[in-house]
Amino acid sequence: MVVTSKASPMAQDLLNSFSLPKTLKLKTKQQELLIRVATLSLIYLLAFVTRLFSVLRYESMIHEFDPYFNYCTTPLGRIVGGTLYPGLMLTAVAIHSLLRLLRLAVHIRKVCVLTAPFFASNTTLVAYFFAKEVWDSGAGLVAAALIAICPGYISRSVAGSYDNEGVAIFALLLTFYLFVKAVNTGSLAWSLGSAFGYFYMVSAWGGYVFVGFQHVQSGEHMAAMGVFFLLQVFFFLDWVRHLLSDTKLFQAFLRITVTSAVAVGAVALGVGMASGYISPWTGRFYSLLDPTYAKDHIPIIASVSEHQPTAWSSFMFDFHILLFLFPAGLYFCFKRLSDATIFLVMYGLTSMYFAGVMVRLILVATPAVCLISAIAVSATVKNLTRLVRAKSPSVQSGSSKGTSTAKGSSKGVVDNSQPFQKNGAIVLLLGAFYLLSRYAIHCTWVTSEAYSSPSIVLAARGAHGNRVIFDDYREAYFWLRQNTPPDAKVMSWWDYGYQITAMGNRTVIVDNNTWNNTHIATVGRAMSSYEDEAYEIMRSLDVDYVLVVFGGVTGYSSDDINKFLWMVRIGGGVFPVIKEPDYLVNGEYRVDKGAAPKMLNCLMYKLSYYRFGELTTEYGKPPGYDRARGVEIGNKDIKLEYLEEAFTTQNWIVRIYKVKPPKNRW
Amino acid sequence: MSKLILLFLALIPLLCSSFSPETPSDRRVLVLLDDFALKSSHSLFFNSLKSRGFDLHFHLADDPKIALQRYGQYLFDALILFSPTIERFGGSVDAAAILDFVDSGHDLVVAADSNASDLIREIATECGVDFDEDPAALVVDHSGYAVSATEGDHTLIASDDFIKSDVILGSKKIEATLFYDFSHYMRQAPVLFQGIGHSLNPTNSLVLKVLSASPSAFSANPKSKVTTPPSLTGSSISLVSVIQARNNARILISGSLSMFSNRFFRSGVQKAGSPIKHEKSGNEQFLNELSKWVFHERGHLKAVNVQHHKVGEANEPAIYRINDNLEYSVEVYEWSGSAWEPYVADDVQVQFYMMSPYVLKTLSTDGKGRYFTSFKVPDVYGVFQFKVEYEKLGYTSLSLAKQIPVRPFRHNEYERFIPAAYPYYGAAFSMMAGFFVFTAVHLYSK
Amino acid sequence: MARSSSKDAQDLFRALWSAYAATPTNLKIIDLYVLFAVFTALIQVVYMALVGSFPFNSFLSGVLSCVGTAVLAVCLRIQVNKENKEFKDLAPERAFADFVLCNLVLHLVIMNFLG
Repeated sequence: MVVTSKASPMAQDLLNSFSLPKTLKLKTKQQELLIRVATLSLIYLLAFVTRLFSVLRYESMIHEFDPYFNYCTTPLGRIVGGTLYPGLMLTAVAIHSLLRLLRLAVHIRKVCVLTAPFFASNTTLVAYFFAKEVWDSGAGLVAAALIAICPGYISRSVAGSYDNEGVAIFALLLTFYLFVKAVNTGSLAWSLGSAFGYFYMVSAWGGYVFVGFQHVQSGEHMAAMGVFFLLQVFFFLDWVRHLLSDTKLFQAFLRITVTSAVAVGAVALGVGMASGYISPWTGRFYSLLDPTYAKDHIPIIASVSEHQPTAWSSFMFDFHILLFLFPAGLYFCFKRLSDATIFLVMYGLTSMYFAGVMVRLILVATPAVCLISAIAVSATVKNLTRLVRAKSPSVQSGSSKGTSTAKGSSKGVVDNSQPFQKNGAIVLLLGAFYLLSRYAIHCTWVTSEAYSSPSIVLAARGAHGNRVIFDDYREAYFWLRQNTPPDAKVMSWWDYGYQITAMGNRTVIVDNNTWNNTHIATVGRAMSSYEDEAYEIMRSLDVDYVLVVFGGVTGYSSDDINKFLWMVRIGGGVFPVIKEPDYLVNGEYRVDKGAAPKMLNCLMYKLSYYRFGELTTEYGKPPGYDRARGVEIGNKDIKLEYLEEAFTTQNWIVRIYKVKPPKNRW
Repeated sequence: MSKLILLFLALIPLLCSSFSPETPSDRRVLVLLDDFALKSSHSLFFNSLKSRGFDLHFHLADDPKIALQRYGQYLFDALILFSPTIERFGGSVDAAAILDFVDSGHDLVVAADSNASDLIREIATECGVDFDEDPAALVVDHSGYAVSATEGDHTLIASDDFIKSDVILGSKKIEATLFYDFSHYMRQAPVLFQGIGHSLNPTNSLVLKVLSASPSAFSANPKSKVTTPPSLTGSSISLVSVIQARNNARILISGSLSMFSNRFFRSGVQKAGSPIKHEKSGNEQFLNELSKWVFHERGHLKAVNVQHHKVGEANEPAIYRINDNLEYSVEVYEWSGSAWEPYVADDVQVQFYMMSPYVLKTLSTDGKGRYFTSFKVPDVYGVFQFKVEYEKLGYTSLSLAKQIPVRPFRHNEYERFIPAAYPYYGAAFSMMAGFFVFTAVHLYSK
Repeated sequence: MARSSSKDAQDLFRALWSAYAATPTNLKIIDLYVLFAVFTALIQVVYMALVGSFPFNSFLSGVLSCVGTAVLAVCLRIQVNKENKEFKDLAPERAFADFVLCNLVLHLVIMNFLG
């Protein structure tokens, strides 16, 4: 299914550009419309289906850490809008009740699981219309096809990732489309639609406007206000110039108004800053501008892997050929400058820059990259096919007005007919198809291998190439739910907070949404202290159980030992007794015999490697061989005094310890 | 007949439980002796217990039939070990069994003596008390000894270095003779002590010295010459110590068995270097009062009836909103040995706690056991706890925690129609009116 | 110098005024309406500076309602202006309908945010 429909958009697109009308009874326009609608609906289906790998392979469930929180949004003490955004939940509920209205009994969880693919499908439609508005319908179809399978977008919208981004990208693209449409037509109604799209986006994503007054007070938004203000001044001036025919008079007027406008703006900004209405920029924003800022100043932001600067490999992984098509698309955009293409170019360039700064923002760049690449593909293919068909009597008369202009721009190429031009064009065309099919194959592979495995169920290849599934997380959470008192408090690193809350139904000390840096730092401090010091901290926090994630047996690399330096950094940021160099040897992070003594005896090390020294993990290696880090651990004789092992999952990925009550007579 | 069985069944839990929350004083006490002669030689102490309603069961410590528990239920509420030389208890009792007995909430009195057995030492060590390792050592005090006709080795000590706690030793001063002195206004009769000294394990935070030796005391074998510096010297030597475990079980450890004896109870006492001769030693009152404390006749608190509600309301809400004013009250009673009586103090505090106390207030009391206060919920939302952590020397610790969530303002709970905002309302409405007028004019002008 | 510049200014404003006098009445009505909105906004800003920004949401909604109204009115003005060639294919009736629709939405939002 996937393979056929994957190929079809390309073929359809080809047909579209060829458009062989005369032989058939249908009129050209009708025929084209039919093909276009068919292609679009196939793409629509494809976008939905390709995101269902995870459901087929595992089950209909919700994957990530954040989505769990969204699913069970019964937060104690969280302001709606402050830290959670209602757009997504409202959407899911709306779809659910619509289905109920149609007498389709569906569980709300299934709705939640399928919300992201559904919106991804809708995004393809919007992408089609957007590209059509900016360029032409051919580019629209290519854009829809590209965005339907682009890994950068799939990563956040596979079935089961019930996350804000899935809906927000749809809303973002819709907003941009409506905005461009409004600019092109000059109609207030479209701009109203754009405003609604924007509102939907912010309510789904972040800037829920009814919450506070950050949107007018924080420095980040000042630029937007300033631009608005300047626009007014500019158009006012324009109008006055229109009124005044005398240039000299206008010059004088210009001087007066510009001076006064700049003065007013500066005074307003200065007063705002001085009186504290306009807060300084936040750390996340600085880290956007300067990638090294967070590392030096706010370890808690830098610790989130999504906030790391993007590696080239992940660009390649997420964009594949789009990365090369992007500059080509920019070239075509610049060749045909209009309001819409300028907008698209701006959007593409800025989002590419920010995607380079933060991994997470690749998602935002994806639609722009797809659109611009689609323009490149569409324009190239169109030019090449025209070359191929240069001898044929009737030059295709495009239906959309975009085509005619495209023809105009490519006239130069058509005119000078060189030898082997036609053959060259055929070769290039084949090359383009080869590239596109590689892209399709790459996308399918990435989707099936990398992005469809829910992070709470881990998959690996066994010794014989068979798929091994580690369901340790759920095992541990169900153990917590079944075997601990309902009011037990669990301490873990904050990444697992939501899952413990949602699946284990137990209170956690810090979770993914904890903005109280001190609490996180306290947990980090406990994890990096010796056991007796940590015990005091855990007593003061009323901790009953401690949960650590350990990948030494399975080779699962994103475990707590690998995150440990962040705990040290964050803990040390608030409590200077924790010093990072104490855990390093010559600036190197080790867990083997050469590790720092403090490292070998801190709580996290003890909890991770307790009883691990007896275990043989890999044939031909000594006992206590850590497969995640590929070393033999340095402290095999670990005794716990204040904690006792309560539960370790089948593959040792999650280990739960019980904090012993204080001694009765001591 | 069946009624009787029912009654019996109903009584079983009463008979078997440790000090129940309702009547914390122990009733059934097992006394293990080295020798039945102790029963008569220490009868004054035992009679005092009996007269206070305790049910004493005397056994020889090596009696093979003794057992602390049967079918998982403890048969006794307290244990008195007057068997300093026993190497092995009879029956199923051993050190671990005795420590388990304590850890399940029962009380223990241990009296050691010179030549105390390893078993007794082990039990003491587990309770944070280390007896002098030299088995022949006694506490010797060449300046604080009791003047006596017979003994000349200064091992009979008159000590008056008590712990300063009315709840442990009783508020009544040890009677004897009221006495005027230039340096001491009123002096208690010293307590006679002859036996082995011990030190407190510094890592144990629960053990308390009740009776200390004087600075001139040391622990050594009086029969031999002191060649090496004694391991225990001065006032770090404890003569009698108590421990209140975290589960409120109480333990009394004494280095002298003879201090409980009729002879010491009756004896007069004159401390060396002091001109006063007391008619009667302080032993009887000291030990009786101490046993009252150990057996929970004093200093046992309970807190009941925790209530909190918004000011002006009576019912307890399931959730508070930030900045609510609330009232909190709790009732605290002390067990007097026969009834619960109001506990009166001015240092009971309540915390409004979420990872750290946001509000810490001292409760005021009405003198009838009720403690109350009112405060404003802080401007922070989350899951809070009302916490009362009351730990006072000699009293059982109170630890109450009650969870309560605090929510932020709802969308419609913010203040509305603020006078200062009327111009803004006016502006918004005038814009609307302007819109209508403009629409009309615009349409008309065409 | 001062005289000449003040004279310049006078000339300037006279020229402006005479140029403006030629605009059609319906556009003048819109301009009046825009001025009314801008002045209301300014009054509120001054009031806020005097009294303090306590009901900040009220202040924002008050000012934004004025700004929104002004912007929408300017849009309408651009679109119904006969001299403006950019929106020739947009009927003034359509422009006015858009204007009314946007105003309705604007005031609904403002009402929601005001309280």
